Order: sequence, then C-alpha cells, then structure tokens
Amino acid sequence: MSSLMWYIYDFARKAWVDGFANAKSKPEIVDMPSRFRNFPVVIKENCIGCGACTASCPSPHAIKLVRDEDTEEEEGKTYPVINQSSCIRCGFCAEVCPSEPKTLECGENHFILPEFNIIPSSRQYVVDDFLCIRCKKCIKACPVGAISVVDDRIVVNQLKCITCGDCVDVCKVNGAMKAVYLDNIQEQRKLIAFVVDTLEKFIESHKDDLRALEHNRLLQYEYPVSKLWNPILEFISDEEIAKEILVNAVTRLKIRVIDWNSEECKKCQLCIPDCPTKAISFDEKTDTIVRNEDKCLRCSICYQSCSFSVIKYFLAKFSMEVNDNNEEVISITVKTSPLISHIEEAVQ
Amino acid sequence: MVLNTVKDIVRKSSIHVCIVNCGGCNGCDVELVALLSPRYDLEQYGIYVHNNPREADVLLVTGAVTEQWVTNLKRIYDKAPEPKIVVAVGNCPQSGDVFAQEGGKVHAPVSNFIPVDAAIPGCPPRPTEILSAILAVGPDAIAQRGREKK
Repeated sequence: MSSLMWYIYDFARKAWVDGFANAKSKPEIVDMPSRFRNFPVVIKENCIGCGACTASCPSPHAIKLVRDEDTEEEEGKTYPVINQSSCIRCGFCAEVCPSEPKTLECGENHFILPEFNIIPSSRQYVVDDFLCIRCKKCIKACPVGAISVVDDRIVVNQLKCITCGDCVDVCKVNGAMKAVYLDNIQEQRKLIAFVVDTLEKFIESHKDDLRALEHNRLLQYEYPVSKLWNPILEFISDEEIAKEILVNAVTRLKIRVIDWNSEECKKCQLCIPDCPTKAISFDEKTDTIVRNEDKCLRCSICYQSCSFSVIKYFLAKFSMEVNDNNEEVISITVKTSPLISHIEEAVQ
Repeated sequence: MVLNTVKDIVRKSSIHVCIVNCGGCNGCDVELVALLSPRYDLEQYGIYVHNNPREADVLLVTGAVTEQWVTNLKRIYDKAPEPKIVVAVGNCPQSGDVFAQEGGKVHAPVSNFIPVDAAIPGCPPRPTEILSAILAVGPDAIAQRGREKK
C-alpha cells in the first residue's frame, strides 16, 4: 500500500511530469568540454601552400589543398579544405602547420610549446664511475635533486642539472665528479696529447740521469708552465678553460718511460718478436735496435724480455706546484720500475 | 485525420533503433553504447535500442561496408518496416575514412547501397552529437514518411 502511495506521489511531482513531456539532457552533458578537439578550423589568409597538412593526415580523403581561380587583381589563394566526413579530428595537420600564425587550428595541443628544460651551459657534469667511492655527498649537495643512484652507480640527470657546480666542490675524490667542457673536445684531446708528449720528451732528454738512476732512488725535475703556455693557448684560447684542463691532466698523469743505451745493447734482438705492436726493429744501416715511439705502448714487455738488463723502464708522476721563485711549475718525479726489485728478489 | 495525428504522436514518442555495424573498428559502436548509459540516457527520449531490423524505425549504420556487407546491407534494410530512416554514424559509412586507402577492400559509402537520411561526421562522433542528430532528424522524419502516400 505504501509503495503504491509512493508511486502516486512520485508521478504527481512537477519534475517528473516535465521530464515525461519534454525530456532534455543536462547542458553540462550536451555541451562540448572546453578543450575538446573538434574539426580543424581553416584560416585561409595564413596558408603558405606547403602541403604539410596533407602529408601528415592519416585519412586518405580528409584534406585537400585547393587553389582559387586567379582574378585580375591577384593570384588565387591556396588553402586546405577539410572534408568533415573523412576527418578523424587527430589534430596532426594543425601540429605540423608551419605558418605563423597557424593556418589550421584544431584543439589546443599545437599551441603548447615544448618546455625549456635544459640550461645552456658549456659544461656537462659527469661522474667517473671508476673513481667514484659512492659517498653520496653530491646527492645531498645537489640543490635540484638531479643526482641519483641508478644500478649502484651515481648518475647525473642532465635534464634536471642546473650546472651550479656544488657537486664538484663537495666531491672528496679528485676527478670523480667531472665538469666536462663540451664545446671543444677535439681541441682538449690535442692539448692533453701535446702536454704528455712534451713532458715525456723532457724526461727522455735527461738520458744520463735516467741511466744512472739506482732503484729505490728518485729523480726530481721542475718544468715551468710558462714554457707550455703559448702552444696551449693555440689549442684553446680561453685561458681559464685551458688552465683547468692542464691542471686536470697533469695531476692525474702517469707516464712510463722506456730507454736503453744503444752502446750497451748486445743486439740479441730478443725484444723484437716480443713486442706486441712491432714497435721495435733492427736498423741494419746504423746497426742498432730502434723503437718507434708512435707505435710503442710502453707496456714494459721488452724490458722484461731483455736478458742483459739494458732496457730500462721508469715511472713518472706529476703535480702542479709553485716553486721558490713564485713560478708555476710542473713537478716531475721519476723512479725506476718496481718490477726490478721483484726480479732481483727472484734472482737472489 | 485524427488517426494520422495519433500515429504521429506515437511514432514521435517511441522510436526503435537497430545498430548495423557493417565492418568498422567498433569505435562508433562503443559511443552508441555510451548513449544507453545513465549519463546520456537515450531512453528518456523514447528511443529504444532493439538491434532487430524487423522492429526498427531507425537503422544506425556504422562501418565502412566490407565485402560481406555489400549484399547483406540491402537485406537488412528491406527487413525494416516502413516508415524507416537510415542514419550513418561516423565517417566510415560516409567516406570509408582511414580504411579507404588505395587498394583497400571497403565499399563505402553506404549511400551506394541504401538511401541515407542523415549523416553524423566524426571518428567517432561524440555521443551527444549522435543523440542530437537522431533527435533532430528522427521523430519528424518518421512521422512525415508515415504520412507519405505509397
């Protein structure tokens, strides 16, 4: 009984009677959302007739470029015409349209410009995974959270990095966090190769010292930076960058030096087949064993295979220092190879 | 005269619809099903989806007319009782849309096989677009066609 009463009450309501007589959807359902991507709108005046819209259109008959007939005053306009019964409202035509302002407008996507998310900088911050001790100080120091641990490696996200350099300041290991200059990498390689060559030649020029060097003793030299400076600036003109690259290269540089006294050499030629790069050869004209420095790897195999201990092998290390005359120098330390002590121990 | 008026009222207020998918991607069919949902509520207008051509006043044709539908489309149209109207939903029945590629095997448009009274562009059209098209063309067209002398 009560349910019947309820039905009568419900049917008697004005809202129900209205809905029965004149059904209507709510306007918020019928209306298109503000960002709805409807059929493209063509603005004829902007068209440059490039045909990008027709090329981008996935539907075969949706866009046609048409050209109005020429009149006496002016040439006929070229513009795209949209066939609505083929258009799938994808908006590609509006996105590819290169004219400024756009000839085709479809939705809002083509008005969105890509966000500017890379800060222009000549440096890129890179972690040297070989040197990194994973102390994670850089992660704490980074103000934008660009550094993270990926697969147990510290990685800098280049898209987030603002190149502030805080990570380099806080890094405990010299060279583990690198601020690499990107603009002139080839020049940097040439510069480093030049510095290494010069220093090696400088050490090799002190032949008498090297040959007289006993093991467990050190040779020390100083090479003034001013001598290197002019050729360096030919590679990289920016003094600040050149200085940084020089310091980075020199402080971590180790050079191995191979030298022998041709007069003591017994010309047994045992070293020639042992050399992995065929850098050693016998020069018949001068009756000497010669080494091609460009091929030589400084691997010390010839030194180990020399039966008469004529071939000598030295290790050199470098550091930037300021000497007593307040002059910047590269301090060079040369010592004999540690292999010699092993051999002597074995002999005894 | 009175009979015609009564028939008009009945025909306008109770429309039976049959969806005919003659080989499309089903996108338009999904939008048609959305029409039945409480949000759009097709039945508040007295429109009922029966999917039986023998009861239908309106045929909603979707799809780009594949090989098999070339003959069957006419058969389905013939089964629907007079008065009837055909509404092409979406781009496929009108132009073949993306299926009308070179070397494609579609036989669009539908109007080559059966008379089409209304067409709704879109790929797919919005449910409200379909709804408004059916309402705009449907009741009056059916009523008018019912009064035509055969």
